[in-house]
Amino acid sequence: MRRPVNSRVQGKYLHNPGSLKIDLMLRGIRIDGSVSEGEDIEGLGIDLILPRNIIANVPCKEEFTKDSPYVLKKKGKGYVITDGIDEVDVRVVPKPEFYRKKTSTGVPFSKIGIVHGSYTVITPSPRCEFFHSNIECRYCAGNFDVNSTDRVYSVDEVLETVEAVMKEGSSRIIYLSIGFTKGDDGGIEFLTGYIREIKKHFNCLVAVEALPPKHNRWIDETYAVGADSVLYNLEIFDSELFEMICPGRASLIGRDRYLEALRYAAGIFPSGTVASHLIVGLEPPGSTCMGIDFLTDIGVVPILPIYRPSPSRALRIEPLTAEIIIPVYRHLYNAVRKKNINMNWVRDISVVTTPIESGYLVEDKGGFKGIMESFYKSKIGLKTAWGLSTIRRKLRVRDVEEK
Amino acid sequence: MGVEIDRRSIWLLLFLRGLRPLFFVVLGLVFWYILSLPVPEGLTPAGRNAIAIFVLCLILWVSHAVPLAITGLFAMVLVPFLGVLDEKETFSLFGNEAVFFILGAFILAGAVMQTGLSNRIALAIMERFGSSPRRLLLSIFLLSASLSFFMSEHAVAAMLFPIVLEIAKGIGLKPGRTNYGKLLFLSLAWGCVIGGVATFLGGARVPLAVGILRESTGMTIDFLSYTVSVFPLVVIMLAVGYTVLTWFFPVDIDDVGRAREVLSRRIKNMGKVSYREYAVGFILLLTVLAWMFLGRTLGLATIALTSVVSLFVLRLVRWKDIEEYVNWGIILMYGGAITLGTALERSGAGLWLANTIIGEWAKSPYVLVGVLSFITLLLTEGMSNAAVIAVLIPIGIGLSEKFSVSPAIVTYSIAVPAGLAFSLPMSTPANAIAVSSNYLRVRDIMKAGVIMSTTAWIVFNLVAILYWPLVGMG
Repeated sequence: MRRPVNSRVQGKYLHNPGSLKIDLMLRGIRIDGSVSEGEDIEGLGIDLILPRNIIANVPCKEEFTKDSPYVLKKKGKGYVITDGIDEVDVRVVPKPEFYRKKTSTGVPFSKIGIVHGSYTVITPSPRCEFFHSNIECRYCAGNFDVNSTDRVYSVDEVLETVEAVMKEGSSRIIYLSIGFTKGDDGGIEFLTGYIREIKKHFNCLVAVEALPPKHNRWIDETYAVGADSVLYNLEIFDSELFEMICPGRASLIGRDRYLEALRYAAGIFPSGTVASHLIVGLEPPGSTCMGIDFLTDIGVVPILPIYRPSPSRALRIEPLTAEIIIPVYRHLYNAVRKKNINMNWVRDISVVTTPIESGYLVEDKGGFKGIMESFYKSKIGLKTAWGLSTIRRKLRVRDVEEK
Repeated sequence: MGVEIDRRSIWLLLFLRGLRPLFFVVLGLVFWYILSLPVPEGLTPAGRNAIAIFVLCLILWVSHAVPLAITGLFAMVLVPFLGVLDEKETFSLFGNEAVFFILGAFILAGAVMQTGLSNRIALAIMERFGSSPRRLLLSIFLLSASLSFFMSEHAVAAMLFPIVLEIAKGIGLKPGRTNYGKLLFLSLAWGCVIGGVATFLGGARVPLAVGILRESTGMTIDFLSYTVSVFPLVVIMLAVGYTVLTWFFPVDIDDVGRAREVLSRRIKNMGKVSYREYAVGFILLLTVLAWMFLGRTLGLATIALTSVVSLFVLRLVRWKDIEEYVNWGIILMYGGAITLGTALERSGAGLWLANTIIGEWAKSPYVLVGVLSFITLLLTEGMSNAAVIAVLIPIGIGLSEKFSVSPAIVTYSIAVPAGLAFSLPMSTPANAIAVSSNYLRVRDIMKAGVIMSTTAWIVFNLVAILYWPLVGMG
């Protein structure tokens, strides 16, 4: 039975792109009949470009979206989102062309690389050893296929995918992720071949999401081999909840090692390129804010994905509302700015609200700030970032004889 | 290889990276400045150009901004380019006997090491004589020295290092904590240094010096004369070395039984002496005898290369096994150094420089020998031995005429002290290898090394004044 659409939010968030993104990600959107489905809607979500060029991946097929006050409609040749009272112009991000193509081995590119705004996420190995020991993160419905037959995409397959991404210009940042693997390297040894080959063939930035390695020398290796950004996702700052919800991370890596590795990485990588997820909604907002403060103190950018219960997981926590979440994002923006951490590296990710986007919740970002953001988003800005990152690596990395 | 991330300020790193190009720009300007100077009285334009090349190479050799061999090649490019010597003459200097003697010596030493003969001799001597801490120490010291009579001192240090390290570990010495650990590695390093000056074979320095002498003056020094001339110095320095070592670092262990076990095990693992070892040993012995008694008649390089050919005819070694023992960099550097020395001499620049730098205040032959040996000892602590030779021999030969001193004496005064580097790890690979053990700190080698260097200078000059006239030199 359809529940009545919540009218309390109508008109409240629509005109601020930061709050609109958060609320859309919480509530999802309904698709009006005027919008032809299929062409532009891939998977469960739809990628929309909100005012100020903020990109958001908005749920549109899950059950809870039927209660959303937001509706996507066709208006003339374009699209609008309406909350029943007012409307704003948006654009629908077309499905990348390369999704229709396959690698020379016959694997659809869309299985290897998924575009999330300016990032293309590639997960070469679907394995996460936590699942095999029943100590996986209780909320996890991420990239790792627990029923996978351990098909690992080869370096060549990944390179073909990156080539397709680059040719289409879908994104210029390749985001490699890996689940938990046994060993003391946090998965970097496995990813090294991929990172090195991508860097060898393409002028793009590479971000790596891995597990904290046991020894810091692997963090040095991650930077040296070509990673421009690294993420060790703590997910939950509260130590007790961390142990309960992420038993694998807590028992095999430990919260202290996460924080130590992040601190070390922040001293190696450039400002704003070391990040860690703190999932909003898995712990009290106050605890998330403490996590934000701790991470920014050590030079790490907190990234705050929003928790939504997954139908395939047993964990059920009622999602927080935008009224509660928005102050947390404001806190995020202020904390990152106060610590003078560069926000421009972590931006334009469709599935999370980045610190720079949180800025719209605090201040109007016109004038010089707007110009600078546009520069960072532009092709020349990305090329500059790539060039500076490459020079920095050449200056910092030294080969040494092993003792 | 591993990686290390330099975490210093990015601006500092940029500045440091910028220093290298800046260095070359400044060097280029200095070079251009010297070339554009008016020609001083007593010097020809070709001489001025030779001095410009000399200064350029001197700075590159001292700074190690490019490998020594590349500086040598650069000299060979610049000499004909600036009209100091013609092209044909320049490149023919690369065919100097010294270059081929060194090549032969590298291959012979390589054969001795590759067959395991040198290792076997080292182990046997240490096991035979190393029954107490002092005797073991003395056997390592004398063994390093005596092997360096026949092989490059660098090769001896590299060969004995793993054995001495295993002995130190076998006795249970902790790095940096015991005097005996320091003594073992210092005796290895200094034994090689002192032994290395005893013959032409201890290093490539003496052949280089003799090569420059021959190209510049037509004079030469033969194998036996050289060894006879320096032998008292070697004997005295060995005695002084052992005394200084045990005085600075008194022996602090009583038993070396476990070291003997290590040596016995290693010898046992080597099996019986092979035919190849016997044959290579025999050829080496014949070669040394030929160098001593037929060197002047047949030429050192001819003998060396004949032995090398016989090694291959008898299939005692294979080229691919020997190739790694041939230091082609040194050979290239020597070609360049000999060319540069000849260019300085033929253009008159060597004499002009010598008069300008030292000639004004060196008033007698004794002072000349004293000053040259002092400068050489000083420079050799911070520079490659061969580079010191390449820089100082042409100047020294230039001065010899003014003081009516034989150019050969001047060559000795530079070639011998150039090998006596005791104080710093960068002075010579033997010291660097010893310090790399971690049993020895830089300050350990420095404080005892200063005494050794001072003693070496005094002993060398006493030998020159008192002994050389007795053997017909002077």
